[in-house]
Amino acid sequence: MSRNAVEWKQTPSFPESHYVDTRIYTEEDIFLDEQRKIFNKCWIIACHESEIPNAYDYRTFSHPGGPPLIVIRGEDMQVRTFYNICPHRGNTLLYEPVGNAKRITCIFHAWSFNATGDCIDISRGKEGYQDRFGCKDAGLREVKTELGFGGFVWVNVDDDSCTLKEYIGEAMGMLDEHLNEPLEVFHYHKAIVNTNYKLWHDTNSEFYHDYMHYFNRITGMIQPGYFDRKYTGYPNGHASVGSMAIKYDAYEGSKARGVGWPGLAPGGWVLIDIFPGMTYNLRTSVLRMDTAIPLGPNKLLIEFRGLGLKRDTPEERAERIRDHNMIWGPFGRNLHEDLLGVHGQGLAMRERTDSKWVIHGREENMTIHDEGGMRHFYAEWSRRMGRKAYDPYGEQAAVAK
Amino acid sequence: MDTRTAITELIHRSGLIMDRCDFKGYLDLCAPEYQYRITTYSPEIRKDMTWLEHDKAGMKSLFDNLHRHNSDKSPISRHINVCLVDIDDAAEEAEVTSTIQVFRTTLDGGETELFAVGKLYDKVAFGQGGPALRSRNVRLDTRLLGYGYHIPF
Repeated sequence: MSRNAVEWKQTPSFPESHYVDTRIYTEEDIFLDEQRKIFNKCWIIACHESEIPNAYDYRTFSHPGGPPLIVIRGEDMQVRTFYNICPHRGNTLLYEPVGNAKRITCIFHAWSFNATGDCIDISRGKEGYQDRFGCKDAGLREVKTELGFGGFVWVNVDDDSCTLKEYIGEAMGMLDEHLNEPLEVFHYHKAIVNTNYKLWHDTNSEFYHDYMHYFNRITGMIQPGYFDRKYTGYPNGHASVGSMAIKYDAYEGSKARGVGWPGLAPGGWVLIDIFPGMTYNLRTSVLRMDTAIPLGPNKLLIEFRGLGLKRDTPEERAERIRDHNMIWGPFGRNLHEDLLGVHGQGLAMRERTDSKWVIHGREENMTIHDEGGMRHFYAEWSRRMGRKAYDPYGEQAAVAK
Repeated sequence: MDTRTAITELIHRSGLIMDRCDFKGYLDLCAPEYQYRITTYSPEIRKDMTWLEHDKAGMKSLFDNLHRHNSDKSPISRHINVCLVDIDDAAEEAEVTSTIQVFRTTLDGGETELFAVGKLYDKVAFGQGGPALRSRNVRLDTRLLGYGYHIPF
């Protein structure tokens, strides 16, 4: 039976943990709050170590909390991160996404910095600042940086944050033994979609949407073991999904994957969601990493990386690339569908469309179509935000009083 | 029709046929040994990338499966400009370089946006049956494709 306006807005008859108010996806003030309370407090993946293999190699990164960053490997081979902002007149220091810079010189007034963030030259400094200001006062703002969990470069702009190891806790347990070897990024692309970042992370946190993917229905959902896969939640909002054997040759034109992954059973598939927007997706022969970078409440940039083993032979690498692109490339069978899905959510939920609730109510003993992964995320989101995802402006609480 | 004109027409025809989603017609333009690739260079990771790679059977399988997938239904329009045709008479083959611009037009309202730009690097076999596509490398400059597309360019 269809519903009228009042019925449409009635609170869903689920526990409060099982639905959210769609304003958490659309409101500017909530997005700004997320930047402060979530993105500027959490560890975020900026790049992979294989993207900056040599001394003085750098990579730029737009941090989802706001600051533009430079990730650079020093002469001592240590990776450090700095704001990509000249402390003089606020200009961008490095423009290219990647490069090698023994000396970082601002094009504006030629102030120079080294790979440890020290200011090493202020042009005509003595003449202009005399003894009032010098290089010792003009270092770059450094950001906490750690390498780990598959060689990714993690950054945290909160100087008082916990360590990366403490932040991840036990969440990477299912992948630990599969990430012991050096990895290498072979695929990188970005997508910008008019949607909220949480909706993308939701898609990576529930498999009920396999109904959208013909490939996954044929190779997974109708195969043995699919409904045995289970979600496990971990502190700090992370979650994992257990493996099964994907039957790749069930899809016409596809075949069983010949190249495997160290320690992973043939056809295996392990997925780990890291709060607030990163996903490790190890699917038989390829590790995919998604990094969600919100550009606004209804605008999302996603970085997609595909990784293989650094020791791959050219033949193995070519096979991993084909496996990756079959489903996850920009022309792949699945990625396009996932992006269409969240694009549609963005269309339907944008401000003033009168969308009201999103339901996370499926309970199937935390197996593959249970929506516990999303519930786990929103419990952490609510804790960090000091807002209830189901009642972000405290209206229900006020009425109850 | 001289060889150069026939080759140029083949390249243009391949785009027009794909615009109509006449996939059988497209495959009819291809030689049995046909190889198709979409490639690009990522300055971010300083690597060449191959985003799609199929032989003729793989292309047919891709086309046959399209109706089973959820796809963006916006039609796209491939604007191809043949720039260079280097004919090797001894090998009965030509190497053809073209520029390509791909536009996407929304179904609701018909707004057209530039979707992608790049080049086509084709090898064309020419025998008694006329020219046929032996291989195509769609070399994209554009890498930001939004929610992507299921149909190759």
